[in-house]
Amino acid sequence: MKRSIVALLALALSFTLATLLTVTTKSSDFSETYPEVVCPPTLNGLSSQISVASLKTNYQGLATKSTKTIPFNVLRYPVNKDSLVVSALGTTPVVWQSRRGSWAGGALCTGPISSQWFVGGSSDVRTRGQLIVINSGLSAAIIDLNTYSENGEQPVVSINLVAKSFKVISLDSLATGDRSLTVQVVPRSGRINAFMIDELGAGLKALGGDFVNPVNSSAKTLVIPAIPNQIPKGGQKPSAHILRIVAPSNVDANFSLELISKNGIFVPVGFDSRSIKAGVVTEFVLSPKIIANSFAVRITSDEPIVAAISSKLITNGRRDFVWSTPTSALTPMKMAVTGLSPLIDFVGDSIDVKIEVALVNGKKSIVTIRGIDVATWQVPITARSITIIEASRETHAGALIASINGFGYIPITPGSQLTKVEIPHSNIRVLNP
Amino acid sequence: MADKAALGRHRVSAIIVSHDGQAWLPETVAALTSQTRPLDYIVAVDTASKDSTQQLLKSARIPIIDADRNTGFGEAVSMGVKSLTPVLAETIEWIWLIHDDCAPSPTALEFLLQAVESRPQVAMVGPKLLGWHDRTRLLEAGVSIASNGARWTGLEELEYDQGQHDGIHDVLSVSTAGALIRREIFEEIGGFDKNLALFRDDVDFGWRARVAGHTVIAATSAVVFHAQAAASERRIVDVEGAFLHRPLLLDRRNAAYVLLANSSWWMIPWLVFQLLSSAMARSVGYLLIKLPGYASDELLAVASLIVKPTLIVKARKDRKAKRFVSSRIVSAYIPPRWSQLRLSTSHVFEAIRSRLLPESGLTSTSILDSLEDEDLLVPTKGVGWSNLFKKPEVAGFIILSVTTLIASRMRLGTLIGGALPMSPVGAHDLWKSYFESWHQVGMGTSQAAPPWIAILALCASIFFGKAAFFLTILFLLAPILMMWSSLRLFKKITENTWISVSASFIYAISPVAIAAVNSGRLATVVALIIAPQIPILLIHWKEIESHSWRRIFLISLLLAVLNSFALSVMVILLGLILFALFGDYRSFVVNKSRPLFLERLKKRLTLLLVPLLLTAPYSFEALLAPSKFLREPGLSVAGGKAHLVILGNPGGIGSLPWWLISPLPLILCVALFTSGKAKVIALFGTGFLSAAVFFSSFSLATHGDSAPSRIWVGIFLVGATGAACMAGVVILDRLRAVLITSHFHFRHILAALLLFFALVYSTLTLGWSVTAGANSPLQNSVTTVMPAFLSVEKDTKTLVLREIKSEGSNSIQYYISRGKDIALGEPDVAPPQVSAIAAATQALIDGSGISSSKVFADFGIKYVFVKTPFDRNIVRTIDGLGGFTRASATSVGVVWRVEGVTGRLVLIGKDGDRELLEAGEIGARVIVTHPGKILLTESYDRSWLVLQNGYRLERTLSELGLPMFIATQSGEISLLHDGTIRRAWLSYQIIAWIVVVIAAAPAGRRKREISEKELA
Repeated sequence: MKRSIVALLALALSFTLATLLTVTTKSSDFSETYPEVVCPPTLNGLSSQISVASLKTNYQGLATKSTKTIPFNVLRYPVNKDSLVVSALGTTPVVWQSRRGSWAGGALCTGPISSQWFVGGSSDVRTRGQLIVINSGLSAAIIDLNTYSENGEQPVVSINLVAKSFKVISLDSLATGDRSLTVQVVPRSGRINAFMIDELGAGLKALGGDFVNPVNSSAKTLVIPAIPNQIPKGGQKPSAHILRIVAPSNVDANFSLELISKNGIFVPVGFDSRSIKAGVVTEFVLSPKIIANSFAVRITSDEPIVAAISSKLITNGRRDFVWSTPTSALTPMKMAVTGLSPLIDFVGDSIDVKIEVALVNGKKSIVTIRGIDVATWQVPITARSITIIEASRETHAGALIASINGFGYIPITPGSQLTKVEIPHSNIRVLNP
Repeated sequence: MADKAALGRHRVSAIIVSHDGQAWLPETVAALTSQTRPLDYIVAVDTASKDSTQQLLKSARIPIIDADRNTGFGEAVSMGVKSLTPVLAETIEWIWLIHDDCAPSPTALEFLLQAVESRPQVAMVGPKLLGWHDRTRLLEAGVSIASNGARWTGLEELEYDQGQHDGIHDVLSVSTAGALIRREIFEEIGGFDKNLALFRDDVDFGWRARVAGHTVIAATSAVVFHAQAAASERRIVDVEGAFLHRPLLLDRRNAAYVLLANSSWWMIPWLVFQLLSSAMARSVGYLLIKLPGYASDELLAVASLIVKPTLIVKARKDRKAKRFVSSRIVSAYIPPRWSQLRLSTSHVFEAIRSRLLPESGLTSTSILDSLEDEDLLVPTKGVGWSNLFKKPEVAGFIILSVTTLIASRMRLGTLIGGALPMSPVGAHDLWKSYFESWHQVGMGTSQAAPPWIAILALCASIFFGKAAFFLTILFLLAPILMMWSSLRLFKKITENTWISVSASFIYAISPVAIAAVNSGRLATVVALIIAPQIPILLIHWKEIESHSWRRIFLISLLLAVLNSFALSVMVILLGLILFALFGDYRSFVVNKSRPLFLERLKKRLTLLLVPLLLTAPYSFEALLAPSKFLREPGLSVAGGKAHLVILGNPGGIGSLPWWLISPLPLILCVALFTSGKAKVIALFGTGFLSAAVFFSSFSLATHGDSAPSRIWVGIFLVGATGAACMAGVVILDRLRAVLITSHFHFRHILAALLLFFALVYSTLTLGWSVTAGANSPLQNSVTTVMPAFLSVEKDTKTLVLREIKSEGSNSIQYYISRGKDIALGEPDVAPPQVSAIAAATQALIDGSGISSSKVFADFGIKYVFVKTPFDRNIVRTIDGLGGFTRASATSVGVVWRVEGVTGRLVLIGKDGDRELLEAGEIGARVIVTHPGKILLTESYDRSWLVLQNGYRLERTLSELGLPMFIATQSGEISLLHDGTIRRAWLSYQIIAWIVVVIAAAPAGRRKREISEKELA
């Protein structure tokens, strides 16, 4: 009997030990990294500055053979020519480009993309716009350009890019003669980014220009949070806005537009359940009679759509325009804004956004933005970065930037997403069917 | 009766050759004097007998010629012939050769003379030889020689004489015992060859008589009884040339001599080959039955002739002078090879049959005895076929066979899945894998191949060399074999077949058995089949000294086979032996019997060490990497957690669901609180179960998987399951008698509960097996991971990325392929992952790997292959990284070529330029065009050698830990992996296994050790 009890106790002890000692083996580990972001090159006649959040932020020129990176050592870096690959480590650098006395515009430096929609640009006689396609990878790349215009979908243009290079494509080559463009950039292989500059001119007269910021995919609901609205001075015409919209699928879409501003939320006349043909870029003039400096729109559709709004502005007596594009809902992120002092418009049913502002002198402060429907916050001129710490649900934000050369718009959205990649481990089972 | 007058023309002189023949001589002499045809003369040649032979001859008034003790038979006969009177005219003079151990029947001479009367061409006639002791046993009726030197009588072993060979037959020769030889022909062809002092002189004489144009016949009406004293080693062979008095050596030597001296010259090379090969084969046979003396006789016999070729040359010259017809005339009397083969096969089968089905010893009784009390007029009641199915064994095996067949419906083909990788096509591949010193797995390894590969290769060789076919059969028949094996054990415990069959049925469908088969656990399946045989052999574990050493070696051999498959057997053995030694020591303290303690110690240590030594060097490597002791063959697939294992279920893929709880743990618990044998067995079972539960908490990273996974404790559960079944048998066997004779009490309830649980478990398990269980991981499949186009380039390394389901979720994993999928045995020797490759692969996936392609190129990885289905982001990331060029994108996956010069063998010049050198699978011979460093992109191993102009190039370790050789000049180089150490280990293994097999095999007996009684 004694032995039996000892045996049972041994069994119980083994079970207890086994239960306590069992270490749950993680079947997988993850590596979290932010991919390097790519900033656009500085084309002829333009000047460009990149705002970064840290002096130690590293970069390398795209054309450099070496894979080594060097720190910026400044918070606003003037780019001579080359496109830069920046190890921003989660901070989104912002590039500000301008053509002296003509236009200015902002864009986010972004990580490699799988698809980009550019709703903007023109191929008609006035256009001087360009599409810049960058291959920051070390392999050759193939990219398809799907172009839509008011005449429908255009033939696909495929371009090849050698490693670490970029190509500038004139917009007039994509759909020659067509007025309204929407371009989708789809890399078939390679580490690809694209930027679009929409610039117009009539003869020697500049008609303004801007970066067309991209959206990654079409959606049934779009929010464009910051659309500049110059309040007409006495006797002047109100600022004109043009909604460019396209339903890239094969089915016609019905959309409704809701305007959100300090003056309230309403559906402008003619924007309730408008129909657009599939694959055809359609433009609608939007002339809201509001007294706000900016407003936002929410577009809902029964089919996935992409859209942007072009706003005509007068800067120092010159004509300019700004492309405002949709943004995704705010998530925690960090953006470098050194020297830009943007005006950020927030849109949401109940806005509650906590922002940390880092100043160039190293100090930091927390700002909380609260509001209903819309809220506006001017980032201090001494700020070098803003960090969205918390944001209420379905709150969108866009930034409007003014400079002596013109106005610009940047979406408040991360340029690169935190990439969570599962760390692969060696397992011979891989070779067993 | 023949015409007496005609017989009178013949004059017969008997020549007795005696040598220590007192045991048989009286009867011999009496037989000669009682012949119906009296002898004309009789003379004896005695070769200095030391016993009373001479006195016996003298008392019979037979004249004696004295000869030296080492005088051969032929020489003695010649002396006898010389002593005869000259041949008389008009008479036919015959000499009748009589051994001192043979006794002719009274009519022998008369019938011999009758046979030659009408056949004047006959030079030699022999009688039918029957046994001395068993006078119905046919020894010879004419004799010949097989091409391998065997004495050929054309008779079955121990053939009973029923007159089936009677008649007068033309033969090559007859035995000299009782042979009647025409004297003038005897003298004409020079008598017996002096070089054949004993044995085979008869065949040689007959052969020579035949080629001299004479006839030899066997007349079976004449009968002689022969003791075969020399051949059966009843007396010492003293003749000249009989090295160390060894009759077998003399017999084999003389057989070879006869063949080589008499055959056509062009047959000699073939004969030499046959003699050598058959001598070696017989030597192995003798070694196996532990008769090394006979084994050496076989080899020495042939060697003794080879070292003296002049003897053969002279003999052939002598024969040529007296040859009148071609040597080919005897070919009609040489047995065809198929006859030899048939006889050998028959002997083997008879030996196996007698071993498996020994004679019961019961004498057969007349059918009338059983019918003594029956009325023969009453019609007998026929036994219906249905009764057969009422037998528990038949019913049990049929149910199990049918359910196994249904459950295995997805396993009727080449098996793969679970822990079992794809089997190579043929046994040859398995042998190759076992013998080679370098395994092309991952970055390559020189680890010793596990011994189970050799065992599997051996079994596959028996199965027509089809390894996959053997595995299919093994897994298909596994449950039936498990049931058969355990039934043998349980039948030793109980005579009640219902209990033993039920227990063996439950054993065969136990959770561990089901899981082992379903998940391709080769070691556990083998253990489940073999393990029940161990308690059958090792009945007295405590009093181990009562087992013979042969039995201990036999058990060690079985344990070595198990240990070859799973080194965890060593862990179990170590535990059991330590416990047993503790008990032995306690006994020693009480009874102070040191010899007993030492005897037990030696036998227990033998059980531990022999399996360890037989599985070396694999087991030795495990001593350095102890995790191997807890691993099974094949892929690393996780086992179950402790809460499942405690129920006897090893868990993991293919195992029974948790709610199918077997009654085995319950039986163990119940048995623990019984008394006697069941309790002892239950203590063992609980020990096994405790070990299984404890080890189930271990997670190890081995067998090519760098992530730790929970170990499979199947081997431990085999012990627990077996013990539980045994304990159940003991309990029920004892309980049955108690239940029948006692009133209803708790034991009835207990028995009913046990039976109920067993019944419910069996029913549910069988149901699960034929439904959900049939979709287990182990299934037949012909799909492959690697596309064919990646295996075109020989020995190209490809980094394969693939999503694998592991522990319930998919995760991306990688391995380096050599152009093909892995095969059986390769995971067991798979090297650990190289950290540089691991880091480069991680960087490849997360997109930060700008130098990944360089790392891969440095390690000789030429392609990266992402197997479908895959995450598109991975493809996009690799596309974006530098150094990879898309080679293809098909439905099977996407392939990139790693940029840069890379391959297995790379020549790096002084300026860093790389040149790819052609390399074979392992070795290579190639020309280097300039001095430089030769980088071999295989794991570093000291056996890698590069030779140039007969000199070894200096071997260094590259920065990445790869072997690098410095070539100071251009010219041809040879790359090779020196397998000397592996060959040494293989030689050791062969010798060690042979020694243990011989030690475990039943011993044969020398002929002299067979008693007269047995001979009778």
